[in-house]
Amino acid sequence: MSAVVDKSPREAAASPESMRTAEPGLKRLFLTLSVLFSFILGMVLLIIYYLLLVVVVFLFNFNICAGFPFLWKSVEIYRSEISLMESNPSLSFPFHFQALFFNFNPDLNPHHLKLSILDQITKLTSDSAPQCGTNKNLTTLSVTLHSNKSHCTHDTNFYPCGANAISAVDFDSADEDVDELLRSVFSGKNIYTVAVVNGGGDGIRVVVGKYRHAWIVGGFDFEEEDDLASRVAEIFVKVFVNGGRDQGLIHGEFMPVGADGRIVLSFNLLNAEPNDWVYDWDFQRIDESVLTPIMEVLGPIANISVESQVLYHTPKSSFSYWDEKQNSYIFNTKDLPFFVNSNEWHLDTSIAAGGRSKILQFVVYVPSAKECPLRLQLPNGEISKTNGFISPMWGGAIVLNPRSCLKDSESKRPQRHIMSTEDLQEVFEVFLGQFRQLFGLKSDNIYVGESGTFHLLPSERGFTEWELDVLSRQHTCFNLHSCVTTLGSLSRLVQSLPRMIIMDEIGKQVQFSLEAAKLAQSNASQGVYESAAVSSRQARSLAEDAFFHPSIMSVSYYSFEHCFAVYSPFFLPVSMHVLLAALREWRRYKKEKAKYLAWKKIK
Amino acid sequence: MTFSHAKSTVGVTQSMANRVLRLLIVCQVLYSTIAFGSVLDIDKEEEEFSEELLLKPLPDRKVLAHFHFQSTAPPSTSFGRHHHLFPKPISQLVKKFRVKEMELSFTQGRWRYEQWGGFDHISSNNAKPPGVELWAVFDVPQSQVDASWKNLTHALSGLFCASINFLESSTTYSAPEWAFRPDLGNLRYGTLPREAVCTENLTPWLKLLPCRDKAGLSALLDRPSIYRGFYHSQQLHLTLTGSGSEEVDSGIVLEQTLTVVLQPSSWRTGKSYVDKAHSQPSWSINSIFGRKVGGKCVLAKSSNVYLQFEKGLVGELKNLQKENANSETNKLASKVFLSNLSFDLSVNPDKVFEEVDNFHSKSTSILYEFSVEKYNDSHPLDLGLTWKIPVVWSCQQAPLHASRFLMGSGNERGAIAIYLRSTELSEGLKKSDIVDKSCELRVNVFQVVPWYIKVYYHTLQVFVNQQSRAVADIMEKIHISPSKDKTSPGVMELILKLPCGLESAALNLEFDKGFLHIDEYPPDANQGFDIPAAVISYPDFHASMHFSEDGSLDKSPMFSKFQEKSLVLSYTEILLVPLTTPDFSMPYNVITITCTVFALYFGSLLNVLQKRVGEEERFLKSKAGRKTGRLSQLLSKFSTKLRGKPREPQPSTTVSSSFVSFKLILKILLVAGIAICWQYYFG
Repeated sequence: MSAVVDKSPREAAASPESMRTAEPGLKRLFLTLSVLFSFILGMVLLIIYYLLLVVVVFLFNFNICAGFPFLWKSVEIYRSEISLMESNPSLSFPFHFQALFFNFNPDLNPHHLKLSILDQITKLTSDSAPQCGTNKNLTTLSVTLHSNKSHCTHDTNFYPCGANAISAVDFDSADEDVDELLRSVFSGKNIYTVAVVNGGGDGIRVVVGKYRHAWIVGGFDFEEEDDLASRVAEIFVKVFVNGGRDQGLIHGEFMPVGADGRIVLSFNLLNAEPNDWVYDWDFQRIDESVLTPIMEVLGPIANISVESQVLYHTPKSSFSYWDEKQNSYIFNTKDLPFFVNSNEWHLDTSIAAGGRSKILQFVVYVPSAKECPLRLQLPNGEISKTNGFISPMWGGAIVLNPRSCLKDSESKRPQRHIMSTEDLQEVFEVFLGQFRQLFGLKSDNIYVGESGTFHLLPSERGFTEWELDVLSRQHTCFNLHSCVTTLGSLSRLVQSLPRMIIMDEIGKQVQFSLEAAKLAQSNASQGVYESAAVSSRQARSLAEDAFFHPSIMSVSYYSFEHCFAVYSPFFLPVSMHVLLAALREWRRYKKEKAKYLAWKKIK
Repeated sequence: MTFSHAKSTVGVTQSMANRVLRLLIVCQVLYSTIAFGSVLDIDKEEEEFSEELLLKPLPDRKVLAHFHFQSTAPPSTSFGRHHHLFPKPISQLVKKFRVKEMELSFTQGRWRYEQWGGFDHISSNNAKPPGVELWAVFDVPQSQVDASWKNLTHALSGLFCASINFLESSTTYSAPEWAFRPDLGNLRYGTLPREAVCTENLTPWLKLLPCRDKAGLSALLDRPSIYRGFYHSQQLHLTLTGSGSEEVDSGIVLEQTLTVVLQPSSWRTGKSYVDKAHSQPSWSINSIFGRKVGGKCVLAKSSNVYLQFEKGLVGELKNLQKENANSETNKLASKVFLSNLSFDLSVNPDKVFEEVDNFHSKSTSILYEFSVEKYNDSHPLDLGLTWKIPVVWSCQQAPLHASRFLMGSGNERGAIAIYLRSTELSEGLKKSDIVDKSCELRVNVFQVVPWYIKVYYHTLQVFVNQQSRAVADIMEKIHISPSKDKTSPGVMELILKLPCGLESAALNLEFDKGFLHIDEYPPDANQGFDIPAAVISYPDFHASMHFSEDGSLDKSPMFSKFQEKSLVLSYTEILLVPLTTPDFSMPYNVITITCTVFALYFGSLLNVLQKRVGEEERFLKSKAGRKTGRLSQLLSKFSTKLRGKPREPQPSTTVSSSFVSFKLILKILLVAGIAICWQYYFG
């Protein structure tokens, strides 16, 4: 009203719609804009504050009633220090090789021989896929040459000439005896030995013993030095370092060991149709006589426990057909994926294997009278000798055909058989082979290399010493790799969620895991494979424990929608007001400014 | 009592030792030629399995079928690791959690104590409250019992696909001292009244049987027909046998029972009776289960089907026979009771047993045994029972019939009443009471109440024959552990000492309803909260059944179980208490309304802040000079009136702008649309 009254004479002159004389005031524009900005700022702050509040209140049950500094402090999230692994641990196992040559020409230069063997080793190592932990610089080789005239030359002192405990004559006896003899000489050292004996035999015979040595017996000429070197190098690289495994077998990444370093071997005897016949076994005895030594031997790699059960009414779910030629029912390798009938075979009922243990199922399938005898046909048309198969990371299965497939039709009650000791022995030999295969080792005793066939002496404990070395090395590698991956994922997770609480316990677990990993690393570099495997196992299981710690889960339950739902009823209507006011004021200011400019122009 | 018990166990162990010694000698002879052989010949004792089915006609035209599967594992060194018949998961469970005794039951429906009996073994042991009931005794130090219980509940819930893990919370289980089972030590007891029981619980239960449901009696368990029944209770009871030592673990007896009450549909149209209600339906195994018994499970040591006629039924049949036949045939009939006058059995029984009754009552129950051994798939067993004449009888009752109900109304307070009513048995006692004045009837009451039902135990009132009595007169022993909020439920254990001649007794307890935290409400909070069933037992009464002299039934695990003295026990109904449930959307409503008020205030403040009063009025005036709609005229009139100033005369223009009216219509439409939407979505 008053504005109408105090019109300045100048304003009256100009039409108020088109121009104005005074510059438009910035007061209201500034006011509304400052309200808008403080509103936006306030909203952002409130949302952030709310986020913190929700996290703090819900996870800590803290009481926030003090002033802002305290609030900021209370809003802080507890994060234990996690020192994360900087890079991949570089594992390097030292390998000590020695080659002994008996009855060779004294002209043979051991240094020359050594160089050529080393050359071959390098060639073979570079040929195959790079193995974890092998380091060419840490490989040492010593060559000792015994000529027939008690002349001896050597380059290093692993096995100096003076220690003349063995001679060429000893190699004439049986393999087992030679093996024991070599063991008595070289026991206690982590050195892989190859003894080459120039003996009068026709062919060349290569035997790899149960411990850490192999020997080659045969007639050699001086010209064959290169051939000799390649043979020795092949034993070193392909057998002692790589474990004599074929390329086609299970890759080293699949270690059938649970994250907590435990394996449960669950043996199941399945009677497909108990109305025909019922088989039972005395597992207790097998457990004591066969499995316990294996479990002890594999102790550093995994903590193994054994259990068994007999199940009934468990038909297989694949089909088989009658083959006249074989006089038996045949199932093919392509049926194998359907052989295991997970609906009827209730194998996985181990409560004892809690947590992250690995359960390996071993199944003896006794077919019913309708499909007896049941045989597995290999893709090449032959009948499988073991009549069994493995499935990596699951276990193995064997079909055990009853001695006679004729069912006693007169007696209504089915015969109850206890599996004979021979049958059990046979079955468990196959199981042992399957178990070795699951670990990626060979199940037969012959290794066919580039330079001929090698005989591998089997150990009565299932695994020879050099095989255990290979497994330990591989296992250490695998464990450390998995430990690093797990900790890496944990660190990425922690970094991506800055509002996540990390308990002290997790920090401790990570720390212990890293310590164990370091210990494994140092053990590995000293060549103590067993303790390296044990501490790497600890490192992995601690890393997994840290990753799967229950308290980590708590953060993921908070949702942004919650915050939105709580604040939108206020911010939505207010934002309308503020935005409209700012917009209107801005438009008005522009319009008035234009008017003023127009007036100025006229003026 | 305890002394004789100890003596008998000593005797048993001695005889065991003797047997072991004898076995040792035999084995030494045997194994002298074989290099290996374990020294412990306890291993030579084999795991055993047996299956039995008891069928019993019930007075209300229904049939009771009671399956009993028993697996035993002898004491062994490889316990929990190597098994032949015994289910491995169970033994691993026992070994891992060191369970001494355990019972788990899944039940659907309510056992009708009045019609189906309350004094026999089945009604005391297999009649369970609806839902899940679990109790376990642990062989661990007192401090570790709760931890073991929690782990056990998790393992069982995984094993049986049920939410038994809810029993983990300390508010759901209790540690009864003496009223539930006498003197068991580290006992924990928990129930889940609202657990639904279905096939997914039965399948894992069947998995524990060596033949599952592929062969034998368990093949009868056709899911639709057993879940159609009136009552269904599946149980698992395990007990340890023999004392476990350092090297040898004790053996386990695992009893799996399934009790179903089914209504047979009359499968054969008999003579039409005048009194249809009293005619018993004729049935056969095929008609009630839809399947026949096609041979035994080959792994079972024994496999039998039994048909039991109760005391009352036998007495009634005898009476009928007396009426109908002369004394000569009657004698013959009472010898074997294969009368063809009142009923027909489609299969001739292999054996007939008569109960040996200690009470010398006028009739005893009769049992027909049918061995499944001789039947196979091509010649299945289909036991059928055909009634020729209508029979009416009643089952033997527990001394008192217990029921429980809620009193009071509103969401604030209420009262629980347990009402005990005399049955024919206690009437019988009353008669004998005339001779013996000091006759007393002892009743154990065990009641668990969740913490949010705050029971005032001092308000306990006892009424005998509808007359209030002092609590101290009636109570022999009482143990109460009051509930702690959000920690433990309240437990009440009582032994009542009631006079024999009573007609009714009632216990009354008042309670306040508590408030739960908003997080503690279940998803369907308005349905109400369950109070678990109270357990009423009669320590002076034991149900045991002894069948005839020759002892052939002693081998049957089910009947050796029946012969054991078991406490007569019954469960009351589950109560449903409605609690005050908050309006769960209230916090959000409060937020919304406050925010709206704030927003309004803020908006108007902002409007006032940026308003230019002078300029606006000038603008309005000039606008009015140009064109004035009827509405704007009215508005300005209204505003001037509000301001209390005389209205300035305005040049009235009758030309109303079509533009303004269009805008107006649009606005009205918009408002109406919003209102309709609101009504549609939120109304």
